[in-house]
Amino acid sequence: MNRNLRFAVAAALLVGTVAYLMYTGVTQTSVYYLTIDEFLVKKDTLVNEGVRVAGRVQTGSVTRRMTNSGEELNFRLADFKGDTKGDSVAVHYIGVTPDMFKSEGGSDVIVEGKYVDGTLRAHNLLTSCPSKYEAEAGASAPSGE
Amino acid sequence: MIEVGPIALAAAWVFAIYAIVMSLVGGWQRQRDFIASAENAALGVWGLTLVAVVALLHALVTHDFNVEYVAHYSSSTLPLQYIVAALWGGQAGSLLFWLCILTSMSAVVHLQNRDKNRDMMPYVTATLMVVALFFLSMLLFVTPPFQRLAITPFEGKDLNPLLQNYWMTIHPPSLYLGYVGCAIPFAFAMAALVTGRLDDVWIRTTRRWSLLAWFFLSLGNLFGAKWAYLVLGWGGYWAWDPVENAAFLPWLTMTAYLHSVMIQEKKNMLRVWNMVLVILSFLLTIFGTFLTRSGVISSVHSFTQSGLGPFFIYFLVFMMVISVGLLLWRLPMLRSEQPLESMLSREAAFLINNLVLVGIAFAVFWGTIFPVISEAVRGIKITVGPPFFNRVNAPLGLILLFLMGVGPLIAWRRSSWNNFRRNFLIPGSLGLIGGIVMLFAGMGNYYAVLSFSFCIFVMMTIITEFWRGVRARQSMLSENVGVALLNLISKNRRRYGGYIIHVGIVMIFLAITGTSAFKVEKQVTVKPGESFEAGRYTLRYDSTEAWEDPHVAHLAANIAVLDGGKQIDVLKPEKRFYKKPEQPTTEVAIRSTFGTDLYLVLGAYDDATKMATIQAYINPLIGFLGWGGIVLALGTLVTILPTRAPAPAPAYSPERGTRTAE
Repeated sequence: MNRNLRFAVAAALLVGTVAYLMYTGVTQTSVYYLTIDEFLVKKDTLVNEGVRVAGRVQTGSVTRRMTNSGEELNFRLADFKGDTKGDSVAVHYIGVTPDMFKSEGGSDVIVEGKYVDGTLRAHNLLTSCPSKYEAEAGASAPSGE
Repeated sequence: MIEVGPIALAAAWVFAIYAIVMSLVGGWQRQRDFIASAENAALGVWGLTLVAVVALLHALVTHDFNVEYVAHYSSSTLPLQYIVAALWGGQAGSLLFWLCILTSMSAVVHLQNRDKNRDMMPYVTATLMVVALFFLSMLLFVTPPFQRLAITPFEGKDLNPLLQNYWMTIHPPSLYLGYVGCAIPFAFAMAALVTGRLDDVWIRTTRRWSLLAWFFLSLGNLFGAKWAYLVLGWGGYWAWDPVENAAFLPWLTMTAYLHSVMIQEKKNMLRVWNMVLVILSFLLTIFGTFLTRSGVISSVHSFTQSGLGPFFIYFLVFMMVISVGLLLWRLPMLRSEQPLESMLSREAAFLINNLVLVGIAFAVFWGTIFPVISEAVRGIKITVGPPFFNRVNAPLGLILLFLMGVGPLIAWRRSSWNNFRRNFLIPGSLGLIGGIVMLFAGMGNYYAVLSFSFCIFVMMTIITEFWRGVRARQSMLSENVGVALLNLISKNRRRYGGYIIHVGIVMIFLAITGTSAFKVEKQVTVKPGESFEAGRYTLRYDSTEAWEDPHVAHLAANIAVLDGGKQIDVLKPEKRFYKKPEQPTTEVAIRSTFGTDLYLVLGAYDDATKMATIQAYINPLIGFLGWGGIVLALGTLVTILPTRAPAPAPAYSPERGTRTAE
């Protein structure tokens, strides 16, 4: 067999492996990433799906309580105006509260979890520091991972 | 003093344009005085950039809070080292710093090549100055660092506490040095394409620059990991965050490049491929700089969104069109006739190594920009998290690790069975035996078993290499072991430096395997006096203590560490409340023993009940990450440092026992 052809076969195998790994990786680990506005529009189609929603904690909606498995947080997630009038969704989370989460509300957060029975059950809560580098929250959209 | 800044930048902008025009015209018309003038202008850009940097530093050090940047990123009580770090702590300053490194490196290149590569230099100048011009334009028109405020604030807002950390001070400079270092080989590649000097002169000229860029990219990534581990408090060091990926991508393509150039130098193969890798690495450094600033892909590490994004995209597309256009134009000249002779050869091993590295880079790139792609294609943002990256990269990483054992020892052109047996019988068997022992010992994670046995294999191949070389010197020159080893390395730095780097990489693989396969994670909420288990330790939450200093209020939990019923340590993870930018932070407590860390985080604390949520992590072998980094750095220095005139001395070669010219 032509040696270059043999190498081409090896290369094709390798490329195939990478493609296969990436394909299965995407199908099995991807989650929907939505801003709160998008989520509120589509939420009925997202029941029991893994989602990641970025929004702002509604002012005055936070209750926190210590439990044996960490702190329990209940709050409402609203759009980036963060006032109490707009549409919002309830979030439930037990675990370690991030440093930047403010009890009075108003933090920009990313909630990772499932949408069940009208509540976002979060297994992960991330605060997006307005930006790590900028001292002021200048941006209107969140940044956070 | 500050007024000098914008003037210097504006002058540099003019100088850069002048340098581009004069070098291109001079190169085209073969006008020596034009070229010389362009080179002087490039040095001028360097000098003027330095002036701007000094102006900003001066404003920072003298606390001129009338300057917006100073008021934003420093305060009068900020320690000096962080005031200096504030230079690259913000958007505008970091771009200025990037430019400063670029123009400095460009100045060194120009001085180095005063009497060399005269035909290529005009295009090197032009390429570097185009990049400089882009950054200068950003600094002049989009994010000016010298903006003044209408009202001078009494005090600055201070640097973000998360950035007030030693590792965060050295991480950005080292990453930028790596990023910018990639621009030098790129500039020479462009010059080679334009002039048609497509032999390996451009590669030899930029060998040290490529290694230097790689060195700093490696360090930058490791420093970032160290910072994340110490400061972010989630028990890990790498989260496949877009910004981390952005720094990892050029590292991957540069690693591939450093290997594939060896094939071009030896066999004159892969000339197109090397061009592609250099172009790709450079574009990825610009992409990385862009990604951290654009807000296109969300990340915890990004700068605030700004108007920079589109400009970076234009610039990226512009550079891509030019470089790919030149490459296509010269493609007929670049094609090499040398065929691959055997799959069992070093060329083949290196080629596969290259494909795997680029494959990893592609997967990481794809995963990073996946939200953008899915939004464009399906109208909905879909993200892939760490599980995606781990699933894809773990098998690819293992192939790479395995090849690291094979590549350096397999013969060029075609390996014989004898060569194979001679080099691989012992390391291969030891790796295999190690794997079987681990399986019988009940290690259930097959990835970990494979990884550890490959580590044994690779280490053994390297040890055999050193041992044979030392033996050869001992018997021929009757040197003692130490002298023989030192001479062996210094007489063939590139080869043995490479092996040392491989040892560092094996150590890093050990750390990655240990932490991903055997990490213990525990989260409990406890009352004072209560204990809980974490791995082999029992941890007892005894009490809390609080204290204050002018900057920060501290709250620490005293946690007794018991091993086999005996108290061996008290760890004090803290919550800190910074007063100036009112911000709480987490200070982790770590106990390191033989490379394994016990890592404690005070997650939450309730003042009324004194209940505390503690996260405990045990990270096995994590110490090897840092040690491996040190070994890798030493190995790179061995390969970079200038070689003295080659002395005739016998050196052992893995193929036929002859001296190799590596």
